Amino acid sequence: MTADALDPVIHAPARLRIVVTLAALPDGDSLSFTRLQDVLELTPGNLITHLRKLEDAGYLVTDTTGNGRASRTSIALTREGRAAFGRYSEALRALLGSA
Amino acid sequence: MQGTHESDETTSNEDAGELDPREAARLLDEASRHARRQFSLSPPWITVFGAVVVLVAYGALWLSTRGQDPYTGPSLGAIALVYAAVAVSVAVSVKVYRRATAGVRGPTRRQQTVEGVAILISYLGSAVIQGAMKHHGASDAIVYGVIPAAGPLIIVGTTVAGIAGSKSDWPQFGAALGVVTGGIVAAFVGPSAAWLAAGIGLFVAVVGYAAATAWLDRRVPQHA
Repeated sequence: MTADALDPVIHAPARLRIVVTLAALPDGDSLSFTRLQDVLELTPGNLITHLRKLEDAGYLVTDTTGNGRASRTSIALTREGRAAFGRYSEALRALLGSA
Repeated sequence: MQGTHESDETTSNEDAGELDPREAARLLDEASRHARRQFSLSPPWITVFGAVVVLVAYGALWLSTRGQDPYTGPSLGAIALVYAAVAVSVAVSVKVYRRATAGVRGPTRRQQTVEGVAILISYLGSAVIQGAMKHHGASDAIVYGVIPAAGPLIIVGTTVAGIAGSKSDWPQFGAALGVVTGGIVAAFVGPSAAWLAAGIGLFVAVVGYAAATAWLDRRVPQHA
């Protein structure tokens, strides 16, 4: 097995940390943008860019409520995102086991 | 989406670089531990702190009743110390809870509220039994010794064991069974020694839980 087997959407430091953090929450729970940013210590622009890539792949959903400064964005892993993270972990373990 | 929309240079550069699989595994484990610490409602340090508070409170109750003949119950000073300890524990727990659940939404928070209510009701159930015993003329040794020392451990411990078992949280399940066992022992050692047995039982169970969770946190990576 080679590193190509690792999902390229997840296999980037910031996105891996985002997925791991969201996967630590129980299924169905979501996390606010500001808390996620606080936990990961990423700049808003950086976080938004990576969230978009994960969202485009169908691995997470974002939900924004309110307008302007009062707006609140929640982020949650989708079932597909959890499954992809599971496959990524398995592939990573298999890769390291065969190394 | 909240926040600014500029893209950092690091973002565009990140995908271009190769992430070594070993580095990815290290990052994954590190991020898992960090996330678990961030969202944990019972971090080991706070659990151990709670265990020490419990030991001090029950120890004070035991010392204030030791050698009483006939048994009349804990002194007001010991009871005041217990209330102070409970107040400190509640304040710290609320702070930890708020920090852990900040920004988190979803069914888990509702479930935690229901669990909290169930635990509170089971604790009040112990007080009801104490009142009923007093009403029916039971001795001070029973009303102010055995029941308040052993009752909450057995009743609340059983409730927590049920909640933990339903979530397959085996460290918490084991700790809850330890608390119930401490309560059973406390029920048979006499009114004064009941406080000591309850305090030691709670302390051992809670410290055991903290040790088990800390050990599992170090030993089991989340992706495994």
